This record gives sequence, structure tokens and C-alpha cells, in this order.
Amino acid sequence: MVSELPYERLLQECLKDELRVVNAHLPSKQKPLSVLLAEEYPHVLCRDGSMHLFKRKELKYLAGLIDNDEQQALLLPMLLEVNGGRGEVAVICQGEVEGKVMAKVLDMPVTPRQKRIVLYKPQLALVRKLLRTTTQYLFSPKS
Amino acid sequence: MPQQVIKLVRPTKIELIKLRRRLALASRIQKIVKDRVLILILEFLQIARQTVEIKRQLLAEFAGTYKALSLAAGYHGYIALEKELVASERELGIAAGSRNVAGVRIPAFELKEAQGVVRGYSLVDTSSWLDQAAQLSEKCLETIVELAELQRSLELLGREISRTKRILNALEYLIIPSLQATIKYLYMKFEERDREEKSRLKRVKVLLERR
Repeated sequence: MVSELPYERLLQECLKDELRVVNAHLPSKQKPLSVLLAEEYPHVLCRDGSMHLFKRKELKYLAGLIDNDEQQALLLPMLLEVNGGRGEVAVICQGEVEGKVMAKVLDMPVTPRQKRIVLYKPQLALVRKLLRTTTQYLFSPKS
Repeated sequence: MPQQVIKLVRPTKIELIKLRRRLALASRIQKIVKDRVLILILEFLQIARQTVEIKRQLLAEFAGTYKALSLAAGYHGYIALEKELVASERELGIAAGSRNVAGVRIPAFELKEAQGVVRGYSLVDTSSWLDQAAQLSEKCLETIVELAELQRSLELLGREISRTKRILNALEYLIIPSLQATIKYLYMKFEERDREEKSRLKRVKVLLERR
């Protein structure tokens, strides 16, 4: 049977939107923890023009985990990369400080591989529970 | 139900290449959407668990506050307590913004910390019972703000999950199968054309041999 799919064009538009929406919330520029702690309303601007607000409680918690020098090196929000199809989540590490923070949050040693720390679902739940506003998901189109 | 095939202008190789590209794109989008649904569900469940926890905490705090306030009222008397509490009214500051969870913008509220600990009532005329009640009430307010954020998040995430699931289902059960069926249909057409060509050549060969 040969026929035109109903609403096919509409579905195509939906899919285009889906790809656009999925990473639109990423910050246009990450800020160091020390800078955020000094702000009255700690926030970053996102690529879609919206504002991502950080909770002061979380920032203070992070500040308690690391020393002053590391606070300048820790860029927030930390990005959690979700890999296409595999449901695997990894923390993107720009330096060693992310590894230190994750080790303290998870209370176990972690080893970054290729600038990534792989998190399993129970660990991810714990990280998201403690660092709700200081972490953000990044959907990687790599398959 | 027979698999639907997308209407084509002509069964050509160009059309086949286009369809294969579309199928690859659709599969990639499906993977991303699937991941997104997984993350949204994970967040939804976590927020649901937290909401239950916070609600329990709030009920316990309400009970504690009510008890402390009753004790303060018993100690000072209702009229004296009311007189003191009228002066203690103050504005409540909430920092409101938003945060983004996998493409869903959800609200973020935070109660502004009060400057100093002056509560407005006279410390000379009141007892520590009232201080305790005030302290517990402040804690209740913090929890209420947190609960408001969680409940709104839960609502928005739930809505987004159902929307994304519809897209995922459309991809899984409609778009990708129809593309696959169309590609299969095109292959069959090409094979048929090959067979026709072969039989035509055979026929021509026979005719030439007869001459």
C-alpha cells in the first residue's frame, strides 16, 4: 500500500524542534565558583537567552568541599554528558577539581578517563540530589 | 496492519539515498529522545521522592511549631502574645529564577536570608518559648518554599514526559518503520526491474537467434 503519512511534515518539524530544544539550555559561558559565591543572585546565561539560577546552599556546599584556589578553577554548572542510545552519563572534567568534587560527593575514588567520569544511575541520582542546580545535562549527538 | 509506505514520486536511486539519510537521522533523533525521556523520568522520580520527604518534614515541622506556639501562648496568654506578634510582621523575600532540566525550564525559589536576627518583638517581655516558636516557623517557611518548587517541577516534568513520549512513540512505531518499509519497497522495485531487464534481454537473445 502506497500512501502519504498523515502529519508527516508536522512530525518532521517536531523532530527539528526536539534537537534544537535538547541542548538550548546549556550555559553560554561557565562561571568559576568563587565568582558565583560573590554574586547576589548567582546565575549564568544560557544559550537560549534564559537565566539559570544557582542555589546558594549548593554553592556553599561545594565551597566546603574544596579550597580557595580550587574554587577559582571549578567552572559551574558542571556538565553531565548523556551519550546517544547507551543511557550512559559522564561528568565532563576540565581540570582535576571536578574529579575531586565527584570523589567527595560520591564518597569513593574516581578516575577521569579522556576527561570524563562515567556515572552509573544510582551515582547520578545522588549527584543530582546534592547538586541540583550546579549540574546540567548535555545531550551528545555522537552515536 | 500492513506497513505504510511513504508515497514516492518515482522509485529511483536518488530517492533511496534520500530515504536512507532520513532513516539515519530519524534513528539518531530517536536515540537522543530516548535518552531525554530516561533522564526526565529519572528526575521526575527523584523529585517525587523528595516531595514526599519534604511533605513529611513539613508536617513534622508544623506539629513542632504548633506545639511551641501553644506553649508560648500558655506562658504569656493570648492577648499578650498577639500584641507582641503584631510588631514582628516583616516582608518575606524570595529569590525566584529558573533552572533547566533536559530542556524543561523549571522554577527555582530560594528564601532570602534575613539580615540579622531581630524578629521585631521585645526580648525583655517575652520568653524563650516564643523564640523557639519563631525559629520553628522560619524553618517551616523555608520548607514551604522548597515544597512549592518541587511540586511545580513535578507538574512540568510530568507534562514534558508525556509530550516527549508521544514523539518517541511516533518515531518508534510510525516514522522509522515506514521509512524502513519504503526502503524495502524500493529495493523490491529495483530487483523487479532487474528481473524484467534480464527476461527482456533473454527474449531479445532468442529473437536474434531465430533470425
